[in-house]
Amino acid sequence: MHHDHQNAAASETATPDEQPYQSGLSRRQSLKLLAALAASTMLPGLAGCDSAPPTPDTTPAAAPGATIAEHWPELNLTPVTGKGYGTDPNMILPPESPWPLTMTPAQLSALAIVCDILIPRDGEVPSASEVDVPAVINEWVSAPYPRQQQDRPLILATLSWLDTEATQRFGNNFTKLTAAQRLAIIDDIAFDHAQTQPRFARIVKAFALLRGLVVAAFFSTPQGTKDIGYVGNTAIGGDYPGPTPAAKAHLDTVLRDLGLTAFAWQPV
Amino acid sequence: MTTAQIEKPEVLIVGSGAGGAMAAYELTRNGHKVLLLEAGRDYDPKKETPMFKRNGDAPLMGAATPDKDFGFYDATIDGGWQVPNEPYTSAQGSEFMWWRARMLGGRTNHWGRYALRFSEHDFKGKSRDGLGADWPFEYKDIAPWYDKTEALVGVCGTNTGLDDMPPSPEGVLQPPPQPRVPELLVAAAAKKLGIPAVPMHRAVLTRPLDNRAACFYATPCGHGCSIGAAFQTTTSLLPMAKATGLLEVRTDAMVKTVTTDDKGQVTGVSYIDKKTGTEHSVTAKVVILAASACESARLLLNSKTDKYPQGLANSSGQVGKNLMDSTGANIGALVPALQGRPIYNEDGHTANHLFIPWWGHQAQAEKKLDFPRGYHFELGGRFGEPGANIDTGLQGYGKALKQQVKHKYGAYVSFALRGEMLPNPDCYLDIDPEVKDKWGIPVARFHWKWSEHELKQIAHGLKTAKDILTLMGAEVGELPAPEQAILKGGQIIHEVGTTRMGASKTDSVTNQWGQSWDCPNLFVMDGGVFASNPHKNCTLTIMTLAMRNSSWLSAQLKQGAL
Ligand SMILES: Cc1cc2nc3c(=O)[nH]c(=O)nc-3n(C[C@H](O)[C@H](O)[C@H](O)COP(=O)(O)OP(=O)(O)OC[C@H]3O[C@@H](n4cnc5c(N)ncnc54)[C@H](O)[C@@H]3O)c2cc1C
Ligand code: SF4
Repeated sequence: MHHDHQNAAASETATPDEQPYQSGLSRRQSLKLLAALAASTMLPGLAGCDSAPPTPDTTPAAAPGATIAEHWPELNLTPVTGKGYGTDPNMILPPESPWPLTMTPAQLSALAIVCDILIPRDGEVPSASEVDVPAVINEWVSAPYPRQQQDRPLILATLSWLDTEATQRFGNNFTKLTAAQRLAIIDDIAFDHAQTQPRFARIVKAFALLRGLVVAAFFSTPQGTKDIGYVGNTAIGGDYPGPTPAAKAHLDTVLRDLGLTAFAWQPV
Repeated sequence: MTTAQIEKPEVLIVGSGAGGAMAAYELTRNGHKVLLLEAGRDYDPKKETPMFKRNGDAPLMGAATPDKDFGFYDATIDGGWQVPNEPYTSAQGSEFMWWRARMLGGRTNHWGRYALRFSEHDFKGKSRDGLGADWPFEYKDIAPWYDKTEALVGVCGTNTGLDDMPPSPEGVLQPPPQPRVPELLVAAAAKKLGIPAVPMHRAVLTRPLDNRAACFYATPCGHGCSIGAAFQTTTSLLPMAKATGLLEVRTDAMVKTVTTDDKGQVTGVSYIDKKTGTEHSVTAKVVILAASACESARLLLNSKTDKYPQGLANSSGQVGKNLMDSTGANIGALVPALQGRPIYNEDGHTANHLFIPWWGHQAQAEKKLDFPRGYHFELGGRFGEPGANIDTGLQGYGKALKQQVKHKYGAYVSFALRGEMLPNPDCYLDIDPEVKDKWGIPVARFHWKWSEHELKQIAHGLKTAKDILTLMGAEVGELPAPEQAILKGGQIIHEVGTTRMGASKTDSVTNQWGQSWDCPNLFVMDGGVFASNPHKNCTLTIMTLAMRNSSWLSAQLKQGAL
């Protein structure tokens, strides 16, 4: 198995997340959530735009993903209208909320669940939603730049797809599923390998983008940066010390294994 | 930056980047009154540099956007591949990318600070292989000026004894930082192939100099350096020149034309005050253009009069011609042997500590290579600060996902090729007949085509990098065709040659002092004067020439020759 179910164990029993996702109060202030809530009253809900009509399945446990036809949501997105931060932004105090946020509370709630399946709490290390990763993704998909506008339909389609798939397999939206039901779906789309069913080919790619974003956003937080082990961005007095003894010892084994010991670098 | 008001300046300088600031420094030091006009806004690195700012604190994790092409914190103001309200165009079938910055100090606020001397053979390429043009002087003429420039700018590195890296006198170079693990692995693999890897020369202080502190190895230099360790004119040459009381700087002053009198003598310039939109004229004995190679050529072409219908200083027809960039290509791979290696602080001075200089002079002399000029590799790969690198190649979720990310961290090694291109008749700029910028100034139009020489060089470089990576145990896969791999014209941001210097007024725009053949009181002191574009990044030589030629100009002024 590539994955581990242990992460979801905390919510293994049927605990649909009734609570909408709430942003913590770090840099991405609750202001943004308010903006999202305000925006949500103006945007059509996503679930209604799905091309495949939901066919509730009353026997969830027995629903094999393979019997469902490939589906893909039609999103009818309104283009974002915000302006960028411009060519001379304040870099010392970066803009807190550079453009209007566009994700709905429902989307954010689903996103928060996906975030924590991808990066669950790990002992002392918080989960992705605990460090506000959904807010970063919201900022990303709402940004008025080409790269982000290219990513936006893929990210939103992924969330919408999860609802359609959840409804077809288990008769409920993704957020209302049990942890085990959610993982049954995620297991089908989180791996790009020979066993991946053709009907998942498209969602696997879109999910990979969302995963890449969540991972980047998580490791960019102070907690994530600490977790990956980055120890720079700290002033050093005197000369740069170079590799530690442990790092040098490791290099020596690498050189030996590659047959390069005789060519080890010497200062000129 | 507030400066003195200078009545009746002797010299007008256009542009405050590498060339213009060095000219201002050298001329004011020699007692000349200087007015410097800069199209960009005032910029104070002490107050505006986002030192220690984390990617997570920036919008989009600091990702590059069309507003900030090299990331949110990059010290480029009102610029990048596009400048608001100041377009440029490319002729049909041509693609050229032009990086500009509209700020005091120009592109020196965010340049890579790689600072390599050109060598003996670089100045005489044509004599060797018959291609391009020779420079109108030899290495030994400029060597003492490299010494002075390196000492003033502050360059770390070592004398390697290699034929591509002429030595600096004892005590000029500052000690380079220790190499990092990925660089040491590259160096060993390269050495097995007979290719050297040595400390890069970088305009970064590892020892304090004047009012500037030594590097503390922590903050990306592209964001700017508030402590002055990474060289930029806004923390060094400009404050030094200002301290003489002989320099006035006017920012937001976009020069439109160089003005001439009935006799064809240069009288000064006319510029737009961008804050008010009004046009002003200023006069001086001497005008120095240092607006960057392409801007200076554009200015000359736009300064045409009845007397100079082809544009100013253009009797040779060479203004705008001979446009060269460096060649560029990137190749990298995940190195399995580096996965999961012990973590330590690899920030260093945030650029490569070791690089691979050109090693093929001899092979070229023996006609063993199918391309004429050299290249080097800048090396990448370290435990960097996490940011907006979106990896779509990950699998799974949960603990296993995190393990993958951590395992890959610091295991990716990249080679950035930077090579010499030859001038060719398809690469030049002229004035677009239709398009004008917001100030009503006709814009530059670029023409571009790589030649066989560059493509063959890229093919050689890709194969060499692959050989090195393979020895490191990495899987590189099939190499792209050179046509695909070569970066676009202008993309390496080493554009030079558009007002080239030479020994004769028939095929060059200036003499060896950057003095225009046609108008003796008009000088060019940016990369426009390059007769060739050696692979060793251009800016140290721009500054060295600006110092040398300003010193010569000062002597001329003192003798009353102008
Ligand atoms: C990201 C990056 C990395 C780089 N790395 C390296 C490196 O490692 N090594 C290296 O050697 N080089 C490097 N370069 C190139 C280097 O920055 C340039 O070669 C150098 O700055 C050129 O100096 P300059 O004085 O000609 O022009 P600039 O530094 O561009 O300065 C020109 C100034 O003139 C002003 N100006 C333009 N037009 C007008 C006008 N009409 N009126 C008034 N003012 C005007 C501009 O606003 C600007 O401030 C890099 C560049 C970039 C962008
Ligand atoms: S790494 Fe050193 S030189 Fe570069 S910006 Fe930081 S302190 Fe300055």
